[in-house]
Amino acid sequence: MFRPVKLTRVTIQTPEDHISEVMAIMGDLRLMHLIRVEDTPLGHMGYIAHVNTELLGRYDALLIRFNKLLEALQVSSHPPVIHQTPRPDKVIFRLEEECATIEKKSIETLEQKQNLQNILGEHQALIARLRLLEPLEIDIDRLFALRYTTFQTGLIPEENFQRLQTSLDGIQHSLIPINNKEGRIVLLAMALKEDEAILLRALKSAFWDPLELNTELQGTVTSILEKIGAEEQEAKKGLADLETTCKELALQFGEKLLFLREELLLARQLLLAQEKFGQIDHMYLLSGWLPKALFKDLKQRIMAACAGKAIIEQVDHEEIKEVRSGILSIPILFNNPALIRPFERLTTLYGTPTYEEVEPTGFLAITFLLLFGMMFGDVGHGAVLCVLGYIIFKKMYRYIDYGIILMECGLSAIVFGILYGSIFGLEDLIPALWMHPMENINYFMAVTAAIGVAMISTGLILNLINILRQHRYKELFSASGLAGALLYWLLAALGVRYFLVGPPTAFEIAFAKVTGGILFTLMILQRPVRLLLARRNQNKKGPLLIQGMAITFLESLIDVLDELLRYFANTVSFVRIAAFALAHAGLFFAVFTLADMIQHTHGQGFFYWLTLFVGNVIIIGLEGLVVSIQTIRLEYYEFFSKFFRGGGKPFQPLFDEKGTKENSSHQTR
Amino acid sequence: MFLAAAKYGYLNAKVRSLRSRKLTEEDHHFLLAAKDLPACLSYLATTSYSSCLPEFEQEIPELRVLERQLARPLLTHYAKVIRSLRGAKERAVILALFRRFEAENLKILLRALFANLNRETLSHLLYPIAHISTLQWETLWACTSVDKCIKHLPPDIFGRPLQNALPQFEAQGRLFPLEMALDFSCFHLLWQAIYALGKGFNRTVTKNLLALYIDIFNILWVIRLKIEYQLPPEEIVNYTIPEGNMISLACLNRLARAQDITEFIHLLPHSFRKELSVINDWGNIDRCLEVYFLQSLSRIFSGQPFHIGIAMAYLLEKEIELSNLITLLQAKAHNFTIEKSRARLSWQLTENTYVPTS
Repeated sequence: MFRPVKLTRVTIQTPEDHISEVMAIMGDLRLMHLIRVEDTPLGHMGYIAHVNTELLGRYDALLIRFNKLLEALQVSSHPPVIHQTPRPDKVIFRLEEECATIEKKSIETLEQKQNLQNILGEHQALIARLRLLEPLEIDIDRLFALRYTTFQTGLIPEENFQRLQTSLDGIQHSLIPINNKEGRIVLLAMALKEDEAILLRALKSAFWDPLELNTELQGTVTSILEKIGAEEQEAKKGLADLETTCKELALQFGEKLLFLREELLLARQLLLAQEKFGQIDHMYLLSGWLPKALFKDLKQRIMAACAGKAIIEQVDHEEIKEVRSGILSIPILFNNPALIRPFERLTTLYGTPTYEEVEPTGFLAITFLLLFGMMFGDVGHGAVLCVLGYIIFKKMYRYIDYGIILMECGLSAIVFGILYGSIFGLEDLIPALWMHPMENINYFMAVTAAIGVAMISTGLILNLINILRQHRYKELFSASGLAGALLYWLLAALGVRYFLVGPPTAFEIAFAKVTGGILFTLMILQRPVRLLLARRNQNKKGPLLIQGMAITFLESLIDVLDELLRYFANTVSFVRIAAFALAHAGLFFAVFTLADMIQHTHGQGFFYWLTLFVGNVIIIGLEGLVVSIQTIRLEYYEFFSKFFRGGGKPFQPLFDEKGTKENSSHQTR
Repeated sequence: MFLAAAKYGYLNAKVRSLRSRKLTEEDHHFLLAAKDLPACLSYLATTSYSSCLPEFEQEIPELRVLERQLARPLLTHYAKVIRSLRGAKERAVILALFRRFEAENLKILLRALFANLNRETLSHLLYPIAHISTLQWETLWACTSVDKCIKHLPPDIFGRPLQNALPQFEAQGRLFPLEMALDFSCFHLLWQAIYALGKGFNRTVTKNLLALYIDIFNILWVIRLKIEYQLPPEEIVNYTIPEGNMISLACLNRLARAQDITEFIHLLPHSFRKELSVINDWGNIDRCLEVYFLQSLSRIFSGQPFHIGIAMAYLLEKEIELSNLITLLQAKAHNFTIEKSRARLSWQLTENTYVPTS
């Protein structure tokens, strides 16, 4: 926590014969951030490895087969985690064999099922067509048996009927409307066989949608429908039996299929990762960042796998010239415990910290829960959030982090609910261990202001740490550096002294004026002085300051005033915590008032409880959203802005436990 | 009358001011007299069509690119007329008239999907209608097949008729049924909008205008299907538009079965027969009917001014002007003589003067 995982840069040279084994080892370790060889001098010279496209093609084809099987057997589940990374060049054979075995055992059932589904589909389509013709009480086979007359059944738009009639004026014909469907007329069109061509042409030009009938159909439409209905039932029964067999197959092979597919995706990803490697003749070269703690294990395993023919080098980031000069940035691998880890999403939403910066997720988590709990303090509402968070955690794999955050926020709300003595807005069920917000408004506002001072001070301290780590010493005397922090603390101390004890003494005021004056002057002068010194070091001749002394001072003054004002505004901003906590309590008040009004007219019956229920749901939804937004705003704008610059690069492991899922959308090239 | 004046006064003034900028007899004369296409275009640049031409100052554009660009003033006038109308029902009538341009663009889109062509290849054939059209063109162009495209159309605007025509498109393997469905749909939307106006002078005028338009459209369409496409009568009848004024379905049926031009003209109602009595060539019929229609349109401007018929008449007039202009430019591009060009236009000029004949 607070610092990312220590990384070291590793370079591996391995013969071509052992590249698969090396990749498998890297896959097992899971935590190597590869540097694209194209970004290195080797890459610029063109020594880039090429992916084995033939092997990749085999994987892609196999993936399609697996997906077909999974779809046909209707297997869907969380993808399993693969612990042993396969060798891409070897595992393909086993995967192909296993796939063929499963296909062989299930192909017959699946084909039968497909056939029955097709038959069922045809029956249903025929039934749909025949239902349109149901009012026509004629034997279909008799129609087909007519010697001198031809007939067509179909639909035409209503508006075309009259034109159709007119167009057939030249021949003997009969147009019999049977039914109506969505603005179209179901029609039986008859004409002499010798005029069939004319009839067809006329129908074609009237936007005829034919209802094809099988010449084998016998009897009236009603009797045919009964017969086909019985056949449909048979087919459905057969299909149901096959579905049961498919379910058994899914139970038997489903898990294995999922496992094999994950292996395939993993191996495929390893294969694609070769794009990032360099290659000179028969030697592969890969370079990347690895947690320092894993280097020894990596070296041992690779040397064992390559029979000592590989060369592995390790360089710490301090020794890399490009890192020192800022050209190359070290990726960030977060290092947080499980309960804090979900908050990494909120951190990266703002930005990715650089390697030297303090990793702020821990601070974010603690303060987020504190602020949320204060604004949303209620045992009942907190419990609801906990339950919701748990449901998300259990049921929605994709949103697992948000589920955890929601549960933690719920717990914090419960804690503050106990402190406020509030359960679903009722403040007389349990005693308030701290206070009722509505009865101690001024005190509450003072407390939140104090929290603001504490958080901003923490931000300032973290900024100082970052300045030292990143060697930005020239910022120490700026308004956002040590000078600004000291002035802020001085003013905060005066404020606290005033509110807790009383007006400051004359000595304290004088001390504050002198110290404040010195710090203020330092902050204003630091930039012009730095500019002056810089010009002197560069031995530049001409006017001392590019823009003129007055303008530089003015700019500096305005910057400092702006920064100091912002400190004040940021501190006052935290009073919103009290405001929203009071709003929360206020909304309860409104809901209870409404419920009381209903109680007076309808008694404490259904509508009373409905009002309370709906009111609480609205409060949880509305306040939950508002409070979350306000908390994030306080974190980002008031806290992070003090020290967090970002601009770092996230650590992208070759793949992690979720890696194959994220890449399964890129299944074929 | 006062209410009508209040409701349509602005529209009337707007339309008449737009109409004042149409090509004059003098313009017709000089355009016709231009020795070639560049000369014709350089004169055209002095008229109200100049806004379509400035980017082409350096080189003469391809005619196929120019044709659609010349429609920009017409479409801008559609937008202006729509903005001048206060009532939703009145706007719906003009929008329904405008839908024919959407239908033309849809035909291009369907052709692109059918022939697997990309948008860029056919963009020059599209009317610039983005500022008025309410269809989701980006979504439609992103579709990968004809039936997917049809699914994205609103059912009450082209969607349902195209769905109904889809079986025949699939059976025949050509776009003709879909294109016909689009044409039918346009007129259906127009009738819908006109009947929604309610009983009154507005409906009477627009109904008569549209019915006449349909009559002329049907006559020309029957000739085209009969002579150019050589379709049999039973097909021709089904491809005509319903609810014409003077030409009934039975009349259309007879026209479709006419053996020659004399019989054809003889079967027409009296008003058309009178206009076409001296015609003995199929190719000249459309020009005569166009002149007849223009005369009918101009009569609307001399009657009671406060109604929506004014707007409809102007827009149709402008459309015919555009069509004549394109015909003239094509004639110049093919180096037709003045006489040969004039024979294809509904402009009628007395030699060396600008006096119109109608």
